Amino acid sequence: MNRSQRTAVITRLAERLRERGSWSGETHVQKVVFVMQELLDVKFEFEFILYKHGPFSFDLRDELSSLCADNLLKYQAQSPPYGPKIGVLPDAKALQERFPKTLGSHTAKIEFVCDRLGNKGVAELERLATALWVTTREGTGDSVDQRAKKLNKLKPHVSIDEAKAAVVAMDEVIAAAKKL
Amino acid sequence: MAKQLHEIRDPIHVFVRLDSDERRVLDSRQFQRLRHIHQLAMSFLVYPGTTHRRFEHSLGVMELAGRVFDVVTQSGAVTDEVRKLLPEIDQADGLRYWRRALRMAALCHDVGHLPFSHAAEKELLPAEWDHERLTRVLIESDEMKEIWDKVTPPLRPIDIVKLAIGPRKASDLKFSVWETILAEIITGDAFGVDRMDYLLRDSHHAGVAYGKFDHFRLIDTLRILPSPPSGESDGSDEPALGIEGGGLQSAEALLLARYFMYSQVYFHPVRRIYDIHLKDFLQQWLPGSRFATDADAHMGMTDNEVMAGILKAAREANQPGHDPARRIVHHEHFRVLYTRNPDDVKKNERAGGAVFDAAKAKFGEPAVRRDVYRGKGGLTDFPVKMKDGRIASALSVSSVLPNVPVSTFEYVFIDPAREAEATKWLDEQREEILKPVKEEAP
Repeated sequence: MNRSQRTAVITRLAERLRERGSWSGETHVQKVVFVMQELLDVKFEFEFILYKHGPFSFDLRDELSSLCADNLLKYQAQSPPYGPKIGVLPDAKALQERFPKTLGSHTAKIEFVCDRLGNKGVAELERLATALWVTTREGTGDSVDQRAKKLNKLKPHVSIDEAKAAVVAMDEVIAAAKKL
Repeated sequence: MAKQLHEIRDPIHVFVRLDSDERRVLDSRQFQRLRHIHQLAMSFLVYPGTTHRRFEHSLGVMELAGRVFDVVTQSGAVTDEVRKLLPEIDQADGLRYWRRALRMAALCHDVGHLPFSHAAEKELLPAEWDHERLTRVLIESDEMKEIWDKVTPPLRPIDIVKLAIGPRKASDLKFSVWETILAEIITGDAFGVDRMDYLLRDSHHAGVAYGKFDHFRLIDTLRILPSPPSGESDGSDEPALGIEGGGLQSAEALLLARYFMYSQVYFHPVRRIYDIHLKDFLQQWLPGSRFATDADAHMGMTDNEVMAGILKAAREANQPGHDPARRIVHHEHFRVLYTRNPDDVKKNERAGGAVFDAAKAKFGEPAVRRDVYRGKGGLTDFPVKMKDGRIASALSVSSVLPNVPVSTFEYVFIDPAREAEATKWLDEQREEILKPVKEEAP
C-alpha cells in the first residue's frame, strides 16, 4: 500500500467505526488498526509496541496527525470530561473515491473489525488488543490462564478475571478471522 | 572535604545544580563532546544568536527532570488510586534510585547526536541506526558503565537507556507503567522536559519570544493521574502524566509555543535548505557517505571537524562536497520554488511530491531539493484534575488545545541559477502537475 492508499483505508475505517456507534477516539482507532494489521494481515506497516492502553503505534499517531493537517480527519472535542472523537472530513470522501480497487480489497476486513470491535469502549479494547498481543507475540501455545497472567503482568490495572475473559473473547475473534 | 554540590550558571534556569556523581558524567568525554554540537544545526546562518550547544541544553533537561520528579512524587500529590497502581511511589529507596536514574538519563539523552544535530539520519547513518541508538550504545559502553557502577546504589544502564530514549526508540525493551511515566517526563509529547528546555532555550538564543511559557507554574501543577474517560462509563485506569486544572493555561502556552517555534524558527525555509546542503556535503565528504557508528569514531566527530571540512571544500574546487560547501559558506543556497498550501492539498494530497517529481524531470535532479515534515505527536491530550476531583480530557476543558494547528511543512527548492525559469514553468504547469492519481475501478 502506498501512503494515499493507506489513507483511503484508514479514513474509511474511521468512518465505519463511527457508523457502528464507536466513540472513535484515537485509542479506538489504534486498537482496531492493530487488530487489522496483526490478525488480518493488512499491510499498514505501522510499528506497534506495548504502551498506552496496550498495543500502540507512534507511527500511526503521527499518521493521524498528518491526516488532520491534510484536512482529511479532525479530532472533535467533546463535553467534559470525555476524550475527543475522530471525525472524517469531506475531503477524505473525495480521496476514497479515487481508490476503489484498494478499498474494494479491504472492505471485508474493515467490516470484520467493525462488527467485532466497533461497539467496544477503551477499557475493553485495551484488554482485547493486549490479549491479542500476548497471544501472538508472547504466548503462542500458552493456555488461557497463562496468557491472562501475562496480560495482568503487563497491565496491572487489568484484573486476572478481566484478563481471562479478554483472552477467551480474543480467541473467538482469532478463530473467526481464520474463516475470513 | 571535596565539594559535593556543584552549581553552573545557566541563562534559562539561573543555576543548574548537580552532585559529584552527576559531575562525573558531566566530565566524561561522551558528555563533553556535546560542547561542540550545535543545538540548532546551522540556524545561526539565519538567527545569528543560535550558536548554543547540546551541552547546556542537556544540563537544563536534567535540572527540569529533577524538578518534575520531585513534584509528581511528593506526598499529597498522588491519589490512593494511582498509589495502588504505582507501588514504587511508596518505596523511599526506590524513589531515590529512580530520581538519580532519571537525572542521569536526562543528562545523557542527547549524547548520540550527530554533528550539527543532523536530522537526516536515514541518509547519514547505516540502516537501522539513529541518534537514539547511538545514545544507547554510549550509555551501555564500558566507559560509562564504570560511572554507573560508582554511584550508590549502582545504576543499571538499561534503566538509564529506557528513560533517556523512551519506549518509541527502545521498542525491544519492556517498560513498566512506572518506567513509561518516567520516560514521559523526559521524552513526552505534552510535558517532556526535553521539549520544555529546548523551546525556552532556543527562543532565548534566537531572540524570539514565541517559545516562552510559564514553565514554573506548569511544573508545579504536573501530576500522575488516571486516564480520562472516553464515553460514559468507559475509560482505562492506566495512569499517565497530567496536570491540575490550575495549570491548564500554562500547558496551552507550551503547546502554542511549540507551534510558533516550529513555524517561525525550526521550519524557516532558509534554515531547512542549509540543512539539506549540509546533508549533501556530508554525503560527498564522509568516507562511504555515512557517519561511523562505533563509539570512538562517533566521539571524534563534532561540528568542528565538519566545519573545517566545509571551509576547505568551499575553497578548493577539487575537494569532495565543494558545491554544497560553497553554497553554505557563500550563502548561495537554493531558493523556495513551492510551499505546501491547503488549496493544493485539497486537490492532491501529495501536491508537494508531485511538484518535486515534475521539477526533477524538467530541471534535472541536481537542481531540485525537497523538504517534508508531517505533523507528529498527535493532538496533545492528557488528563486534567478538575476542581471537583474528576479527571477530564484536556481537550474537553480547553478551548485552545483542540484548535492548535498541526505543524506540517513542505518545500521544493530550486538552484538559484534556474529560479526565474522554474517559477515561470510552475505558474504555467501548476494545474496539470497537481492532477491527482486515480485507481481504475476493480
